[in-house]
Order: sequence, then structure tokens, then C-alpha cells
Amino acid sequence: MHFDPTIPFKYWDALLIGLGTSLRLTLICLAIGIALGFVTSQARQSRLLPVRAVATFYVELFRGTPVLIQLFWIFYCLPMLIGAEPGNFISAVLSLSLYAGAITSETFRAALKSIPREQYDTCRALGITGLRLAIWVVLPQALLRAIPTLLSNAVALFKESALISAVGMADLMFIGSSIANRTGRPVEMLTAVAIIYFTVAFPLTRIVGRIEARILRRLAV
Amino acid sequence: MTYDLQFFYVWQNLDKLGRGVLVSLELTGLANLIGLTAGFAIALMLRARTPVLRVPATALVELFRCTPVLIQVVWFFYCVPILFNLFVDPMVMAVLALGLNLAAFNAEGYRAAIQSVPREQYDACAALGLGGWTRVRHVVLPHALRAALPVLMTNGITIFQQSALVALVAIPDLMYEGKMLSTETYRPIETYTVVAAIYFAISAPISLIVQRIEARFDRVQA
Repeated sequence: MHFDPTIPFKYWDALLIGLGTSLRLTLICLAIGIALGFVTSQARQSRLLPVRAVATFYVELFRGTPVLIQLFWIFYCLPMLIGAEPGNFISAVLSLSLYAGAITSETFRAALKSIPREQYDTCRALGITGLRLAIWVVLPQALLRAIPTLLSNAVALFKESALISAVGMADLMFIGSSIANRTGRPVEMLTAVAIIYFTVAFPLTRIVGRIEARILRRLAV
Repeated sequence: MTYDLQFFYVWQNLDKLGRGVLVSLELTGLANLIGLTAGFAIALMLRARTPVLRVPATALVELFRCTPVLIQVVWFFYCVPILFNLFVDPMVMAVLALGLNLAAFNAEGYRAAIQSVPREQYDACAALGLGGWTRVRHVVLPHALRAALPVLMTNGITIFQQSALVALVAIPDLMYEGKMLSTETYRPIETYTVVAAIYFAISAPISLIVQRIEARFDRVQA
């Protein structure tokens, strides 16, 4: 077969639009997911059994089923249940945010475990409780300790976002494979798409290692 | 809107979903076989002193870890046959793609575990004159396997969930059968809910076991 590496460059603008969609979706869902994840991790430590049960069920459900079926469920089943079409983008944001919330809540849970007991005792002595304890004492420390894993979560989310091509959203994967089918050049196009995903994800994973080392050094004071 | 749930069609076609489950489990089992063995080999290569071994292993791991599984599966399906003039059963391609992906993730798990083998063990090996393959098989591997167990199990169950992707290249796994059934019967809610429940019912017990093991490790360390 004749391999022509110039083909993907002919379609660089379309691929760039696809990458834009993938990145935008990842960032939106990451922001919502981190907020949701922190709230969920707090709910899982709640003293109230129903709150704890709901939070645990949510996390286990979204971590225990394929993201693909979560997407299909929200795209095809939710509109029937609520009797309205939320639209493609909203549906994608909804499903990936719920997934992101589930995985980041586990990250926060691990980070929360590493906050020393003394901090809680100090807060009690100072009369800091409830929401103020969560926002001013727990959140900053949990966030700092969670940063490396959250970055890994971000990379995972970016990779999982390729699934939305299966429900017809024009992300990088969808545009790449459409062009591959249209031009009959799967090798060049799909390889190019893989390289683009790699160029975004790889530097991020390197940064994770760097930050991890730095935070470890700081915390080990 | 009130929606009338009708699980009748799903129950009637449960045998199709059952066949799908078997395909998904077969894929997962074979991928884990590759992932557990090749993963360890790659982990050893990552630690090798000669770049001849280290560089390809690193490239493989980073490539599989930094791209979506979907593109890996699609690439194996459409590009490998063209590039290598290799036309085999779709299942083989799916197992290869998922297996290599798992191997890359497991290699990282093994590597961390190998690093956790205390220096003293190596010193003891040197004192006893154990080297090379004997040291790997009788000292490093048992140690690393135990330390890596939770990660390996988590990765193994993740690949079970990722195996749903092969439905997009028309391999008749659980996801694919579910998709077909939902289109045939116009009952997406019931079908996808049952399919999700099946995936969950298989993953949840294993992730529970992982949590138990991790809790025990934590206790031992504390």
C-alpha cells in the first residue's frame, strides 16, 4: 500500500475543530466533576446513612459500568424518561461530568485520608465546624494533595471523551474517522488522530510526575 | 411524562445477552492473560540498563497509556490489516488491542511494585549468589505480584468495562447485543438498564475484594 503522510495535513482545520470540541468538553466536565467529586467524597463520610448510601451507590455505579453504556443511557433513555431532548452537548456534558465526579471523588477520598487527625481536633477546639471546616480547612489541603491524581483523572477524562464520537458528536475521534472513511485512508488519518491525542495527553502525564515529586517534597517537611 | 416500563422483551431475549456476556468475559480473560504476562515482561524491560530494551518498552507503555482505548481498538481493526496484510478473526484483533493496553497499564503497576521491593532483598540475593533469572523468579516476582495485586485486579476489571468498546467495531459482546436488542424492540431504557446492571453485577464483587485487600494492606503497614 502507498503510504501518504501528507493526507492528514490537508484536513488539519477539521481535525483542529474536533480537538477543540474534545478539549472544551473535557475542561467543562472536569470543572463540574471536581466540584461534584469533592461534595461526593464529603457525603461518603457523612454521619447520615442515607446520604452515605446514595453517594456510595453513585460512585460504585459509575465506576462499575462502562462509560459507553452511561453515554448510551443518558443519550437514549434519559430523554424518554424526562420527555424532553436536552441536546447533544448537554447530554455529553451530563454523562462525562457524572463519570468525572465518580472518579475524582475517589481521588479526594484518598486525599482526605491523608489529612492528619490533629487538624480535626484543632478545628473542634477552635469551634470551626460543618461547612466552614470543609471549605477552609479540608478543601485546600485535600486539593493540594489530590492535584497529581486529579491531573491523571483529567487525562483519563480526555481519553474517555473519544467515546462521544459513538453517539455522533463531532469530536476529534469522530471527525478523524469520518475523514478516514470518506477518503479511504484509515492508516494515515487514524494514526494522525492517535498522535494528536498523544501530544495532548503525554505532556500532562509528565507534569503529573513533576508535581507529585514537588508536593511530596513540600509535605515531607 | 409517564413511561410504561416493559421488561418482557428483555427477559425473552436474555439468552442473547447471555451469549454477549460470554464474549465479553472471554475478551476480558484473554486480555488479562496477555496483560499479566506481557505486563511483567515490559516492567522488567523498563528497568533494563540497555536502552535497546528500555526505549521500545517505554514507547509502548506511553503510547497505550496516552491515547484513547477507542482509537487503539479502531486502529487495530482498520490499520493493522492494511499495514501488515494480516487478515485474522476480529476477536484476535480485539484481544490484541485490549491485551496490549492492559499490559501497558499493568507494567506501570508492576514497576511501582518492583520498586517497593526492599534493597535488603537484593543485598541478600547478592550474598546468596542468586542472580539473573533465579532472582527475578524467586525473589522479585513473588514480592512484586503481592504488592501489585490490587492494581492488577483494578486494571483487570477496568479492561472488562473497556471491552464494551469492541461493540463499536461489531464484535457481538454484551454491549453490542444490548444495542441490537434495544433497536429491535424499541425498548432502550429496559435493555440498557439491564445491560448496565449485568456489567455492574460482574465488576462490583471484584472491586469489593480489591477494597478488602487494600484495607488489609493498610492495616499491615500501620
